[in-house]
Amino acid sequence: MADVLTTPAPAAVAVAGRSDRWRRMWRRFYRKPMSLTGLILVVLFLLLALLGPALFGDPTAVHFDDVLGAPSGAHLLGTDDLGRDQLARIASGARVSLEAGVLSTALAMVVGIPIGLVAGFYRRYLDSVVMRAVDVVLSFPFLVFAVGLAAILGPSLRNVVFALGVSQIPAIVRITRGEVLSVREQDFVAGAIADGANDATILFRYVLPNAANALIVQATVAIPAAIIGEATLSFLGLGVQPPTPSWGVMLTTAQQFLSQAPWLAVWPGVMIAVTTLGFNLLGDGLRDVIDPRSAR
Amino acid sequence: MGWYLLRRLGAAVIVVLIASVVVFLGVRALPGDPAVVLAGENPTPQVIASIREQYGLDKPLPVQYFDYLKHLVTGDLGQSTQDKLPVSQILANRIPVTLELAVLAMLVAIVVGVLFGTIAAARRGKFSDYTATGFGLLGLSVPHFWLGLLAILLFAVKLRWLPASGYVPFSENPAQNLERMILPAVVLGTGFAAVLMRQTRSAMLGALSADYVRTARSKGLSGPRVVGVHALRNSLTTVVTVLGLQLGGLISGAVVTEQIFVIPGFGKLTVDAVLTRNYPVIEAVVLVTVVGYIVVNLLVDVAYAALNPRIRLAGATNG
Amino acid sequence: MRTRRLMAALAVVPLLLTAAACSGTETSVGKQLTGTAPFDARPVRDGGTLTVALSQDPDALDPTTANTFVAREVFASMCEKLYDVDENLKIVPQLAAALPKLSDHDRTATIALRQGLKFNDGTTMDAQAVRTTLMRDLTLPTSSRKSELGAVTSVEVVDDHTVRLHLSRPFAPLAAQLADRAGMIMSPAALRKYGKNFGAHPQCVGPFSFVSRTSGSQIVLKKSPYYYDKAKVKLDELVYKIVTDANVRSANLQSGDIQVAERLATSDVGTLSADKSLKILPGGGISYQGITINTSNVHGTDKKPGTVHTPLAQHPELREAFALSLDRDVINRVVFNGLYDPDCSPLPKGSPYRDPKATCPKRDLAKARQLVERSGVKTPIPVTLSLTADPVSERLGQVIQAMAKEAGFAVKVVPGEFVTTLNQAREGKFDTIQVGWSGRVDPDGDINDLATSGGSNNYSGMHDPVIDNGVHAAAATTDIAQRRALYSKVIAREHELNGIIYLYHERYFLGTAANVAGIRYYSDGIPRFETAGFAK
Repeated sequence: MADVLTTPAPAAVAVAGRSDRWRRMWRRFYRKPMSLTGLILVVLFLLLALLGPALFGDPTAVHFDDVLGAPSGAHLLGTDDLGRDQLARIASGARVSLEAGVLSTALAMVVGIPIGLVAGFYRRYLDSVVMRAVDVVLSFPFLVFAVGLAAILGPSLRNVVFALGVSQIPAIVRITRGEVLSVREQDFVAGAIADGANDATILFRYVLPNAANALIVQATVAIPAAIIGEATLSFLGLGVQPPTPSWGVMLTTAQQFLSQAPWLAVWPGVMIAVTTLGFNLLGDGLRDVIDPRSAR
Repeated sequence: MGWYLLRRLGAAVIVVLIASVVVFLGVRALPGDPAVVLAGENPTPQVIASIREQYGLDKPLPVQYFDYLKHLVTGDLGQSTQDKLPVSQILANRIPVTLELAVLAMLVAIVVGVLFGTIAAARRGKFSDYTATGFGLLGLSVPHFWLGLLAILLFAVKLRWLPASGYVPFSENPAQNLERMILPAVVLGTGFAAVLMRQTRSAMLGALSADYVRTARSKGLSGPRVVGVHALRNSLTTVVTVLGLQLGGLISGAVVTEQIFVIPGFGKLTVDAVLTRNYPVIEAVVLVTVVGYIVVNLLVDVAYAALNPRIRLAGATNG
Repeated sequence: MRTRRLMAALAVVPLLLTAAACSGTETSVGKQLTGTAPFDARPVRDGGTLTVALSQDPDALDPTTANTFVAREVFASMCEKLYDVDENLKIVPQLAAALPKLSDHDRTATIALRQGLKFNDGTTMDAQAVRTTLMRDLTLPTSSRKSELGAVTSVEVVDDHTVRLHLSRPFAPLAAQLADRAGMIMSPAALRKYGKNFGAHPQCVGPFSFVSRTSGSQIVLKKSPYYYDKAKVKLDELVYKIVTDANVRSANLQSGDIQVAERLATSDVGTLSADKSLKILPGGGISYQGITINTSNVHGTDKKPGTVHTPLAQHPELREAFALSLDRDVINRVVFNGLYDPDCSPLPKGSPYRDPKATCPKRDLAKARQLVERSGVKTPIPVTLSLTADPVSERLGQVIQAMAKEAGFAVKVVPGEFVTTLNQAREGKFDTIQVGWSGRVDPDGDINDLATSGGSNNYSGMHDPVIDNGVHAAAATTDIAQRRALYSKVIAREHELNGIIYLYHERYFLGTAANVAGIRYYSDGIPRFETAGFAK
């Protein structure tokens, strides 16, 4: 099947001058306003996810006499259909998004990278088997998988992470494998093989670092995609259990009250967009820094 | 090339068989079965037992699977448990709808994504790069379902420019058909346009810094010419790959889009079938998706090879 | 999107709360929309196509096997029944010429048929056709009507326009059953031709005849040339479109894509009724929703009851406490915009079978806490509440969660995919579950099988002689006062057991374009279009 993104591999990672290199990279990174904005947005998001629930109060406290309240002094972002403080729910929702985004991407990486490395490096039968399996997973419509999973195990954040993670594995496998295939043919790898280096050394010392660039780019696409994925699945009723707030669930609620309480629809959507934007900007910045070719 | 295609065909058959077993067992692992659904408010044991018998669900699993394969070989996909219509007829109704939606969405994505990606890469660091990149990021960042809803509210309910939803077959009335497909195609296409834009920009930047482009520039070829001819041609490889990879996403996206705009397509059929435990339809749907995926990937690889002859060898040895 | 709603909507039956309803703010809306809609008698012009949005995709359009509520709606336009109900849910003859004449100690029912009626395939409807239909309902293995016609043992053709049903026991709900799917007479010619596939080519007597169905998308009917009363049918074509999302139904109605939308979201009703180009017809009210507590359903509703080891199952006083912790009026206001009928009875408001003196206990937190304390169970008492994953059910679940918390219950809300939840309900794999019933015209259909021993929809696993005997005695008499007394006793006993905590009756809201007239919409929630059309 298709070899993915067969960008020509850069020269082997320089071993000497590591700290120098980091400093250079950081300088290059922070000179770019876009990258820096991304970093700040992501840090703010992380702070909100970690501290938000402590700072903004109980997201599950209901007040039936104050439902669908407009933003006011007491409730800066208004109240939802059960009179819960929207700000507290936004803050708590950040943690759900963080867990979904990071954990599912981590799951995909942990499973996908070794498979991709092995498949690309040993090729032949192992590769065929892996790629067929990848094809089966890729060809399955994701939502069918997610809906089926929710039907069997019940909707929950854990299952969302699992479904999103599994759906990302094929991309990780293919990208890793593609990188391995092209790196393998490079002189320095051929040299190392000729020198009798063992497979593990070659894979982890030469091959993996060269695949890292493409994988980091993929991660910066995968994390925000997973955040949107969580929102979509929660929106579809396949996500967190009530009364846990999730931005997707909040949008589902908001959608039913667009005419009466349009303010409910604003912030969860904005938060998803801004968070995703932050990760994407950060990813672009990292890519520019890590990959010298695009920096020029 | 013939040998290569044969190998690909063999691999395809294996994938289809694995997928058919997976889905066959998968649907039966779901809680409840068609009988539970169909018995509705009258779930007496006799009714449930006779429905199971009607669909052969009382037989042992291997027998059921063998029966299924036997029918499949003769081209019989069975009968929908929900409305008792032949599955083949349902597919024939639904697939063209989603194909049209997908093609239109892809057109939107390619036009917008490649154009903006190229501009952004060519004018790197300039205002137009930031604008294009910004829009690309926004496209990635805004959830589909949200965009669709906002679009309906704005264009159909407030402005009344376009119909909110519904589907008119192309053969019946092309103008009405397109009128109703614009919003869904744009909504579905936006996300892909954003992905494509990013990948195109990325690949173009790589290509623009490559030696042969530098050589071309140093030879005094003008900027637009270098971008237009050399770099873009090379970056198309990336575009084709992304399109292949996005097929699954497109179908998932189509489910959401078809739900919002009430389009009776393949995506909606898929989810409905899972939710009603409509075994024959689920099995057929997955089969079609898998075959579709294989065909598209083959086309992608062929396009790939045509765009970059050096790749063919790698594809052939590893396909 | 909205698979959430979809999940519920797929619902074979509106069994677990499916309906599209939401909540909102304006309680004033409720005042104008109580009761059922007055008939809009403006004269309508000949011709036109009316497009109606249904909230779910019907199952096969075969009266013998169909189980969805939406299929009933489509049948109303193309498959008439021996009997129908009027706006007061009184049973009136439709294909029959008169109500059944009972004889032989209520064990024989003789039904006279109208004469000269034709099926939509042009063949004649006669007593033989009625017999063919009823025998199919009784004998087809996949028939869902068999249990409804339970007491019918044989059908005899007396002459061309008279049939006689022989019953194993006096069976009061008979006429009501024949006013539903069991009473839809199918063309024997079509049955011969299509057999089990009748549902793909249904032919009955009706103002409209079946033209085509596109799976998951639409069902097209056209004016029937054979209908006995075709002068009153004005529309040329009737198209049912499947639009599972309530918000989309509203949007389509506003944009003019469709002219009628059923079951609007309660949150949309306020906005839509302010729109001059639209009308809202209220209807429905015979269904109920509540919380079923698993008291002894261990292995499934079709198995013997067993012991359930949850605090609620073990302590009747805790069930009472749980019920007392809920405020039905607040639930109605917060979740349904105040548009539903809060109630603690399975029988609809206004039913002649209700005890006029019976009232529902108000929320009593002090007493609830007292009962909890008296039970000796350590608080917070864990309770799992299963429900269908859709926004409205989840909102209801969270309101219940918050209310019960104050009495010492820690309610965990577990939303599930529709079929999964339904399956759990039947198999007894739940503590408490939010379910309901679409409602029947005869009270027997609202209690029998739902609260009686061994009933296939008795998810709680109740097995109480007072309930069983009362329900059976009430089905054996046609005397309204006697039946009322019996059902009142049964419902009082249900309140003691709290196997089901009834919460409210759902109302349906039918939105139409302002120029559409002649639709009849009753508390059974089925819009009837035979006289509908576009106002002149």
